[in-house]
Amino acid sequence: MASNRTFTSPALSFELVARCSVTRARASILTLPHGTVNLPIFMPVATQASLKGLTPEQLEGTGCKLCLNNTYHLGLKPGQEVLDAVGGAHKLQGWNRNILTDSGGFQMVSLLKLANITEEGVRFLSPHDGSPMLLTPEHSMSLQNSIGSDIMMQLDDVLVTTSPDKARMREAMERSVRWLDRCIAAHKKPETQNLFCIIQGGLDLDMRRECCREMLARDTPGIAIGGLSGGEAKDDFCKVVATCTELLPDLKPRYVMGIGYPEDLVVSVALGADMFDCVWPTRTARFGNAVTKHGVLNMKREMFAADFGPIEEGCGCPCCRPVEEEGAMGITRAFVHHNAAKETAAAHLLTLHNVWYQLDLMRQAREAIIADQFPPFVKDFFGNLYSEKSSYPPWAVDALKGVGIDLLET
Amino acid sequence: MTAETQNSDSAAMRFEILRAAVKDGAAARVGRLAFAGRTPIDTPNFIGTTSRGALPHLTPDTVGKHLQVTGAYMALEDFIERPQQYLKRIPPIYSTPTTAKHHTRLHSFTAMPQSVTTVLSARRLPAVPSPMGNTNASVSVFTSTGFQILPTKEYLSAVQALEPDIAIPPADLTHSPITPNSKRALRMAERTDEWVVEWFSELADANSRISTFAPILPISYSIQWEYISRLAEDYLPTAQLSGLAIYDADLVPDLADHCAALLPLPRLSLANPPTPHHILRQIALGIDLFTLPFINTISDAGLALSFSFPPPDTSSSPTTNGSSSTRSLQPLAIDLSLPHHATAATTPLSPNCTCHACTAHHSAYVHHLLAAREMLGWTLLQIHNHAVVSAFFAGVRDALLQGDIKRFEEGARQFALAYEPEFPEGVGQKPRARGYQYKSVGDGEARRNKAAWGKLEGGEGEGEGAGEKGEKGV
Ligand SMILES: [Zn+2]
Ligand SMILES: [Zn+2]
Repeated sequence: MASNRTFTSPALSFELVARCSVTRARASILTLPHGTVNLPIFMPVATQASLKGLTPEQLEGTGCKLCLNNTYHLGLKPGQEVLDAVGGAHKLQGWNRNILTDSGGFQMVSLLKLANITEEGVRFLSPHDGSPMLLTPEHSMSLQNSIGSDIMMQLDDVLVTTSPDKARMREAMERSVRWLDRCIAAHKKPETQNLFCIIQGGLDLDMRRECCREMLARDTPGIAIGGLSGGEAKDDFCKVVATCTELLPDLKPRYVMGIGYPEDLVVSVALGADMFDCVWPTRTARFGNAVTKHGVLNMKREMFAADFGPIEEGCGCPCCRPVEEEGAMGITRAFVHHNAAKETAAAHLLTLHNVWYQLDLMRQAREAIIADQFPPFVKDFFGNLYSEKSSYPPWAVDALKGVGIDLLET
Repeated sequence: MTAETQNSDSAAMRFEILRAAVKDGAAARVGRLAFAGRTPIDTPNFIGTTSRGALPHLTPDTVGKHLQVTGAYMALEDFIERPQQYLKRIPPIYSTPTTAKHHTRLHSFTAMPQSVTTVLSARRLPAVPSPMGNTNASVSVFTSTGFQILPTKEYLSAVQALEPDIAIPPADLTHSPITPNSKRALRMAERTDEWVVEWFSELADANSRISTFAPILPISYSIQWEYISRLAEDYLPTAQLSGLAIYDADLVPDLADHCAALLPLPRLSLANPPTPHHILRQIALGIDLFTLPFINTISDAGLALSFSFPPPDTSSSPTTNGSSSTRSLQPLAIDLSLPHHATAATTPLSPNCTCHACTAHHSAYVHHLLAAREMLGWTLLQIHNHAVVSAFFAGVRDALLQGDIKRFEEGARQFALAYEPEFPEGVGQKPRARGYQYKSVGDGEARRNKAAWGKLEGGEGEGEGAGEKGEKGV
């Protein structure tokens, strides 16, 4: 069902709110079983049903409406039996907002060197007892049905995009399409859980186009662009995203998997993507790094020992706002420095700040799109991040030029 | 108010005794300790024990929102390390700017919620014994960069810069479980005496926002009586002395016998009671306020506290008159790492608890977090364990307020019969050691496992020190 601006499927509705008049950026509203989500959005990764020390209440306080859980991890701990007994991942973690789960396949290929992919599924040795195990599309669906995620991902045949083996890449792409069919057939709760397809095809743009056509024919309520969190050049990454978004329907959400650096988010939004996830902002917090609009600052450096400013001047997160404001803590860089790598509370504070930063970046992008001020927003963003235009990354300059923004013009 | 009316006031502090069990002497009592601008503390009660200015695993917003804790113990040694490359740097905390809401440097640097009363001492709880020992003009402290000399004068100026609500003057302590010989004990008393004289002369016309709780040493009264008499004679009448920081609760009866003038002062125990049995015994001796480092240790061990006061009614279970041996004892804590909690579904961490961890979450989640070694597990346990201890003290205060001392004593007797003497070990993996502090935690555990809680019954009987030697059977 689709009108001009709205697409509806049993467990999802997507409303296109605004489009940038220059780039392909879009602002939209995605309504899922656990509430409404404004797009574009960054989704923090709560791998094992917990976001690195933040209480679900604190995560809610950042405005997060949709976070990730990893199927592979939840399948191991607490395991499907417990998930069924407790009533799914929302109940397990006390989170009443939306959850997106991956298929579990990517984790196996990246975490387990011994994974072996056949038509049947992904074979691997159990990390518990070394016994052989098999993750099939059917098993992935069954696990994600037990988790009860609002958005589930199909099991795909993931290959690093930099693989030189064209034949293997084609095999992986075609197999991913066949596995989507098996996932659709095995999905037990299409009325309450959305299954997204994943577009594969490596860096071969024709193969990506072919995959888009095949996947779109299956008419899933949302579409992901996969296989891009590897070591590919940023130019190639942008070309793949731009090629896919060109072919995707306007009225479905588009999710680029596994990216999270602020520049990547802003450029991908300009290229027409809506949803992103990455462990980087939360992982880097544990190493004492604060993500700010002027770049990443390592709070462990001596220069911050007696710096009594907030983690980021002007940040609206509960850490950075002055303590006199409602719900604010007035945390200083000096206090984070004092406890970085010494007390877990410092990591929690940086996690809170970094998650807020990423969510707020997407909120600001969205407001700019709605006001049709997205190009100046992008220019401000890069202007804050780099002191000289000459240090702007060429891949970003080129990608943005392709959608009508000239970062270097004065 | 004056001492005769059982109240103790200074410019910044007010301690009101609402009910005392006996007119003269020391025994359990109910009071209210209030500092300007902070949430009043109903006593008996406890304060949180911080590490490096933070309650372990908890961010200040969670402390403000979900902890009932109204006080925080902080150690100066947590803030004054000298990194190898920056040996000359002045501890940054001394230059923290204050704000309208965080109007002391200690609050401002640590972002501790403004409602929380701060207590500053030189050493952590429990403190790591120093191989160097103290000198006539300094205490040896242990920072993240190693042992360090802290001149008593520097500590004094730190106190003036940081403005804690309660400051504890330096004490010449060994921090060793071995009782010092009488020669060493005498030197402890003499040094502490000198340091306290120095303290009050320096603080005489200084900031009146700081309330001094003078240390009472863990040595016999007869060795430190001169020092204690000086406190009562010189510093009580001038209202410079606001309270007592007691390192051995067994000294309280001696104070009552020999120095009754000090009785109206609030008494803070720094004696690290290892279990609630020990807490009850110290309450019976007249302690008002506790620091309880065991709470942090218990959370790290994956244990959810499960005791309450008075204990749940077990009168239905048949017992032989006068014997406790047939009753099955309740655990003081539940080990959430044990496998059966995996599917305990939506039950609270301990029965009837209404803390944030138990209302927003459940034991199956905490079990999962511990199994997955997710940091949130320890955060939720900290919220729960502080709530259980808060409720325990509220129960004690109720008993003392509603009935006479008998009601509390009966509750304490039932508590001893209802619960196991010690905490379970905890099979779960603890958080990754965060460096140097683990020395001190290890020390605390060693003490916990050896302690003799049986003293409570001994203390209740007429014979003083009946339980002094070793453990009593249960
Ligand atoms: Zn911030
Ligand atoms: Zn609880």
